[in-house]
Amino acid sequence: MCHVSVGHVARAIEEAGIPTSVVLVRAFRHVAEETRLPRVVVTRHPMGRPLGAAGDHQRHRHVVMTALELFDSAGEPVMVELPEPFRAGL
Amino acid sequence: MSETFEEFRNSFYYGSRSDLNFKFLKNLPDEEAAQFLRELLDHLGDAYDHGGLDPLIQLAIDWQIRGYQPPEGATRRWVYDEGPFAEPARPVSESRVALFTSSGHFVAGDDPRPFDVEDMTQEEAEDRIDEFLKTPPTLSRIPVDTVHEDLRVRHGGYDVTSAASDPGVTFPVTALRELEAEGVIGTLHEDAFSFPGAAAQMRLIKESAPAWAQMLADQAVDAVLLVPV
Repeated sequence: MCHVSVGHVARAIEEAGIPTSVVLVRAFRHVAEETRLPRVVVTRHPMGRPLGAAGDHQRHRHVVMTALELFDSAGEPVMVELPEPFRAGL
Repeated sequence: MSETFEEFRNSFYYGSRSDLNFKFLKNLPDEEAAQFLRELLDHLGDAYDHGGLDPLIQLAIDWQIRGYQPPEGATRRWVYDEGPFAEPARPVSESRVALFTSSGHFVAGDDPRPFDVEDMTQEEAEDRIDEFLKTPPTLSRIPVDTVHEDLRVRHGGYDVTSAASDPGVTFPVTALRELEAEGVIGTLHEDAFSFPGAAAQMRLIKESAPAWAQMLADQAVDAVLLVPV
């Protein structure tokens, strides 16, 4: 239900005129599609670790950068799926 | 007393074997759940011989993805034909960016005290998930210079182990502060926001979400990074 909740918050923020970018895991990609979120980054990480594993700061940065870039690059709704596998135990 | 395989699967979903990493077992038909366990053991056996747990972890992630896919033909409640699309007013390098997550983080000493409970544990939050789902959410304001030691996390819907040991997995303030220092974003908004996403949807849609959006507009936020968990 969390992903639906954030979908509704993102829609409200967009309706207030503020652009949003959302990071979520592949298991819940369908929620981003169903709630028609405008800028989405999908990671192949497990639920509860959307940015990457604990300690994998490089991955956290990469995911955040990808989400931020969408503010400048997306002229229409876009969903980017990052291919990198989860890296545990770094 | 014997237990059926279905009862076994369901016990991972807030039952006697509750495990938020594997609660998706409840969503899989018996045959698929059995296949998952079979493959999991195969991969574990391989790891005995070859070491390396990456294939085992990847298998669990792949099955988690499968477990959360809506069944074909299922009626979905929150589906929209269209979505709003706000145009950025300025490049992200000149923007005030705010972080907003449903990770359930809050600052020590500023506990949102769900149901007026003092210092609710993670275990109790899991036990009371049904009550959270009927209650409007409480938003926690988290100054972005809050040190890790002062951050707390509690959420009845996901395994918070990683988020507690490294907030960056669900609440990426550290990455955002670095990117602010490097000029990738103009300014990181002084407060980040978090709420436990398990909440009553109608109240969220009608009350909380529009109020939070207005709050961000009033604080001259230009762009929002959201992380559902």
